[in-house]
Amino acid sequence: MTAPGGHQLVNLTIEGRPVSVPAGTSILEAAKTAGVLIPHYCYHPGLPVAGSCRMCLVHVEKSPKLMPSCATAVAEGQVVQVHEPRADEARKGVLEMLLINHPLDCPICDKSGECELQDFTYQEGPAHSRLRDPKRFNAAEDFGGDVLYVANRCILCTRCVRFMESVHQDAVLNVSERGDRAVIGRTEGGDLARPWAGNVVDVCPVGALLSKDFLNKARVWELDRAASICTGCSQGCNIMIETRDTSVVRLKPRPNPDVNAFFMCDHGRLDYRWMNRQDRCAAPATGAGESDWDSAVTAAADALEGRRAHIVASASLDNEVFWLLGRVAKKTGGTVAFAVPTGPEAPLPGARDLALRADRVANATGAGLLGAARKDDPFAGVGPGDALVIADLDPAGVPVSALEAAGAVVWLGTVHPGSLSKLNAALPVANVAECEGTLTNLRGRVQRHLQARPAPGMARPAWSALADILMALGEEAGYQTAEEAFAAMAAAVPAFTGMTYATIGLRGAVVASSAEGAP
Amino acid sequence: MSAHAEDARYEPVFVGERRKRLDVILERYPTKQAALLPALWMVQEARGWVSEDAMAEVGAALGITQAYVKGVVTFYTMYHQHPVGKYFIQVCTTTPCLCSGADKVVDAFLDHTGCKELGLTSPDGKYTVIEVECLGACGFATPVQVNADTIENVTAEKVPEILAGLK
Repeated sequence: MTAPGGHQLVNLTIEGRPVSVPAGTSILEAAKTAGVLIPHYCYHPGLPVAGSCRMCLVHVEKSPKLMPSCATAVAEGQVVQVHEPRADEARKGVLEMLLINHPLDCPICDKSGECELQDFTYQEGPAHSRLRDPKRFNAAEDFGGDVLYVANRCILCTRCVRFMESVHQDAVLNVSERGDRAVIGRTEGGDLARPWAGNVVDVCPVGALLSKDFLNKARVWELDRAASICTGCSQGCNIMIETRDTSVVRLKPRPNPDVNAFFMCDHGRLDYRWMNRQDRCAAPATGAGESDWDSAVTAAADALEGRRAHIVASASLDNEVFWLLGRVAKKTGGTVAFAVPTGPEAPLPGARDLALRADRVANATGAGLLGAARKDDPFAGVGPGDALVIADLDPAGVPVSALEAAGAVVWLGTVHPGSLSKLNAALPVANVAECEGTLTNLRGRVQRHLQARPAPGMARPAWSALADILMALGEEAGYQTAEEAFAAMAAAVPAFTGMTYATIGLRGAVVASSAEGAP
Repeated sequence: MSAHAEDARYEPVFVGERRKRLDVILERYPTKQAALLPALWMVQEARGWVSEDAMAEVGAALGITQAYVKGVVTFYTMYHQHPVGKYFIQVCTTTPCLCSGADKVVDAFLDHTGCKELGLTSPDGKYTVIEVECLGACGFATPVQVNADTIENVTAEKVPEILAGLK
């Protein structure tokens, strides 16, 4: 039999379950496909194999010795046993050794609850320590960037060393000293204030490398998680938004081999506080002050009546929103424009086509596909015949001259408009963490984000507010969910033809007109 | 490599004769990386210790990272990561020597050299004294190794005379 990639398939048995995987797969990865997690520490699917922790030892029938499953390729007819007396005993021994100098300070450790040392010790480790001597002590060390190194908890798996050396390709970490004195060391002056270095916290299987930003903020079992997309740049890294109560407390990368492998950059990782902003636009308003939704929508429709919509939008808004904005523009003979803030590009050399991109917005590609124009000054050319529609921008970035020139102003925002000199309607909308939607990354991959926290006050998703405005203008737009809005867009826009939320899933799907990975 | 290696104040080790010697050493090994230990020995021989700048230079010369070189330097106890005295005095304090009064020999060296503690260098920069494990001369306890030379049957009383001979 042959796998889709042309690889020969190998058949073997793991824990009594038949498995067929491409030749060259490790036993550890093959076991995952059978739903068997072989305990491991030094192995990480995104890093070169080290085979040094000896935690993934398994019994392979007819092999005289236990085999490290991360570094042993599958073979036809192999019979692998993970839980077998000799293998169990070996792994128990490894755990006992790892725990000799481990402080067992789980109650005050940030990693507690998502720690592989904790999990596997609980599963199959020794219940008691035979050690009667004092444990080694090393002071915690600030590694720079967002990383704190707590050497006492370190099991020297070298995942962080291999990440910096092979993936970041900026080797500043090593294993220094030897024996029980060994610790993760740095070169002189070398710190982890590097664009992708925060990933060492994720690859660390124990509580040795911690995020300073997240330090002592929450216990991980108190967190709720929602799959989302980073809006820090046009790469569209897949992330998990993690909230405690309703506050976003950290972002973690969510593996997607087609976009970000297992990683995300520090720029995106630490840029989440705006999701919790308190100065939010929480109630709709008309020119006369706060109102209910119906009055505000009517005021917005009145402002657009007989005027051209000059729409200036954040390029991190969803595809659905840009499509609806485009329909408002078309209905009124207006335009949709967006500006793109840029910054230096920072590639991750060891990953395929992964970088902190120069375009620091999430959906410039989608906006372009949906008819919006990228402009250096999107406010240019506003006249008295125009209704200026401002979608999810900071009020500080709106030029007073444009407000004064416009015939009417409609504010569609997450942030409170403050005291704009002209305002016909203000519609409070949800930010990316508060609603469902899709974003299109720079390779044309359409990806879904889910809701992670509730929107404040009366705020609604932007697509919902825009659908109401369109209906007030006499258009057909009765969408009850983001999925319905997306379905209508997919039916109307060729680039999205055939896509549904179900087919996009959590891995994303590439738009018709764009070839992913093309230069 | 490191910005330190390009520091104007750092004088490269592998120039002239030493560069030629390194090239000869490199021929002995299948890969450049394999010559790491002898290359580090050359640095220590030339400078007395292995600085971070030197680690960067060795890394650049052998095509490995400075971080990796540092890992190797810290792994082995005989590469000095700090400057040591002109005379590096290693006193054997393993069991047979200890039974023969090696601890008194250590104290005598610390007193007479002005080194306050094991591992520290005397104020005049001439001496550093450390304890080592077996020097392999148990029949001639206590052996003391000064730089590359070993002196056997050392007692506390002989220490001033030995130090006088070093001046």
